[in-house]
Amino acid sequence: MSNEPHILVIDDEPQIQRAIRTILTEKGFKVTTASRGEEGLTLAATNEPDIVILDLGLPDMDGVEVCTRLREWTQCPIIILSVRDSERDKVAALDKGADDYLTKPFGIEELLARVRVALRHSTSKQGTQSKVIKAGTLTIDLVWHIIKRGEEEIKLTATEYKLLAYLAANHGRVLTHQSILTNVWDPADANHTEYLRVYMRQLRKKLEVDPERPQFILTEPGIGYRFIADE
Amino acid sequence: MQSSSFISRSSQYLLAFGFIALVTAILFTLREALDTTLVALLYLIPLGLIATYWGLGPGITSALTTFLTFNYFFIKPYYTFSVHRPTDVVILVIFLIVAIVISQLVGRMQVSLAAATAREREATRLYELSTALAGLHDDHAIAQILAKQVQEVSQGEAVELSVTGLQPFSFFLPEAHQPNRQPEWVVPIEVARGVLGEIRLWRAAPALTSSEKRLLQTFASQGALALERARLAQAESRAKVLEESDKLKSAILSSVSHELRTPLSTIKAAASSLRSDDVHWDSAARPELIAAIDDEADHLNMLVGNLLDMSRIESGVLKPKREWNILPEIVGSVLARMKHLAEEHRIEVDVPESLPLVPVDYVQMEQVFTNLVSNSVKYAPEKTVIRVRAFVESDSIHVIVSNQGPQVPQEHLERIFDKFFRITAADRVTGTGLGLSICKGIIEAHGGRLWAENVPDGLAFNFTFPLIWEGVSPPTMPMDTETE
Repeated sequence: MSNEPHILVIDDEPQIQRAIRTILTEKGFKVTTASRGEEGLTLAATNEPDIVILDLGLPDMDGVEVCTRLREWTQCPIIILSVRDSERDKVAALDKGADDYLTKPFGIEELLARVRVALRHSTSKQGTQSKVIKAGTLTIDLVWHIIKRGEEEIKLTATEYKLLAYLAANHGRVLTHQSILTNVWDPADANHTEYLRVYMRQLRKKLEVDPERPQFILTEPGIGYRFIADE
Repeated sequence: MQSSSFISRSSQYLLAFGFIALVTAILFTLREALDTTLVALLYLIPLGLIATYWGLGPGITSALTTFLTFNYFFIKPYYTFSVHRPTDVVILVIFLIVAIVISQLVGRMQVSLAAATAREREATRLYELSTALAGLHDDHAIAQILAKQVQEVSQGEAVELSVTGLQPFSFFLPEAHQPNRQPEWVVPIEVARGVLGEIRLWRAAPALTSSEKRLLQTFASQGALALERARLAQAESRAKVLEESDKLKSAILSSVSHELRTPLSTIKAAASSLRSDDVHWDSAARPELIAAIDDEADHLNMLVGNLLDMSRIESGVLKPKREWNILPEIVGSVLARMKHLAEEHRIEVDVPESLPLVPVDYVQMEQVFTNLVSNSVKYAPEKTVIRVRAFVESDSIHVIVSNQGPQVPQEHLERIFDKFFRITAADRVTGTGLGLSICKGIIEAHGGRLWAENVPDGLAFNFTFPLIWEGVSPPTMPMDTETE
């Protein structure tokens, strides 16, 4: 059995299949494709891929449904492919267990970045997760709760720290508003996006060099936030 | 005439008898002084009056009664109906004939006068109705007028009018007055092509006369004609609207295909020259061609996105997903993203942190700022200032994006928000021609208003939207200030 990571692409459009297969094979991945949801579920069960790339608009079943059925038995990372303006579907799929998303049309750099993050998270689930996260000049020590920019320590409030810790622990992944609110605040606060907006702005002012052009905490419009750390 | 119609038939007879009795009593007191012939002549006066005022029936009856009282009280022997003198017989017979003839003549004249007046009233009513209905093109207005006229003419208890068709409706006059019994009279509103509705009338007493029924029937057919005319007019204007929107659609299609073809041509040219042997691997043109493909693909994507947004706005499915957001954050992220586009301009921002949270769709509001600023960048000359200001104005937020670009002629200030509307020639400026109309659609979906105005040194886009969302004012945040 080869060691190259195995990626299952479930998308009904042959052109997309061809493009993704060409690019990923070139980069050293093993690629299997399926053009229908049922077929994809069967292939996922028999091949046990390392990553599933799933298009939300499938001819036979809803992509969110495929996501839910995959999550019944596997924790393998799922990357959603979808067109613009379907934020609702994307958020639904992410909340049903998908790990990340890509909006069509996407650049190849984006695709590879998502795949890398997904692979790292699938391995870190089994192994130990790093406790000190570096992002540019920022150092976040999740064990000692110390945040430094260069040598200077940054003071955070309790909520700000909880928020940053959750983002940093999941660095590279998109986190929906709901998942952040549920994890940092309380499941009962899942609809209070304003908490998130206000605290996020505070946090950016303390961490970012230019809060208007954040380098670490990126806004994913209509979806959530993503923390960018060094690979 | 008017008063007599209010007195019932029997009281007319009673009055006639009373009048005769009175006249008889007066004549009786003067019996010795009057000649029989004179009495007969004097008796003719009340008879004429009775026939004039109370009509044919009371007239004839009075004539017969007077014949008897004349005979009984004034012809010897008194208090009998027997007559001794032959001249008296002649007088009596002549009296009877004259009395009956007068009553009949006067009575008939009255009847035909009444009929003529009634006909004239009918004609006036009909004329009023058709004048009122002329030029109406709305089912509801026609029905209202028809019902009102029916109600006025019939003096009925209630009138119900129902109209069938695409949007059937019915109503009562007086409003909400719905008798709980079957209507006394029902007439269909009918044209050759079928029934358009129905008039139902409640009037228990007095029962409708045949002339009233005839009049109401005529009303119904007048109404039917008006309704049919209205429907034909509506059908015609619908056809016109369809034709217009067809024209608009083909204009949009041709504009869209032009816009889509421009980036496609670039992509096709660049890709095919990269494929051919014309461009060497190490040629300096290579990265440039590749960049062109990438940029134009993005442009194409934006175009398609804009078209999609526009169709969504037009079909009314653009529903903002509103949440409490921080306006300075939205503005900041848009301007940060656009920095490379606006390198030649100076952007001044006055969107204070102290603004309350705003209930908007984050993605859509970003798009509004992106489109307004990029429009300013496109049209305002280099080195000029683009200003973005926001402030609270009672219960709303007012945002102004102004530039020092060319002013827009007053008559075009509204039209610049129309789809594909351009003041300058299309090939001088790149874009979709949809940006501003999308902004307008988004702001209006937020319950706000977007407009443009000329300012002394350029053009300003203004928009306002309410801060109150579902009855709730912007929340203030309890912040924890304690550091760890």
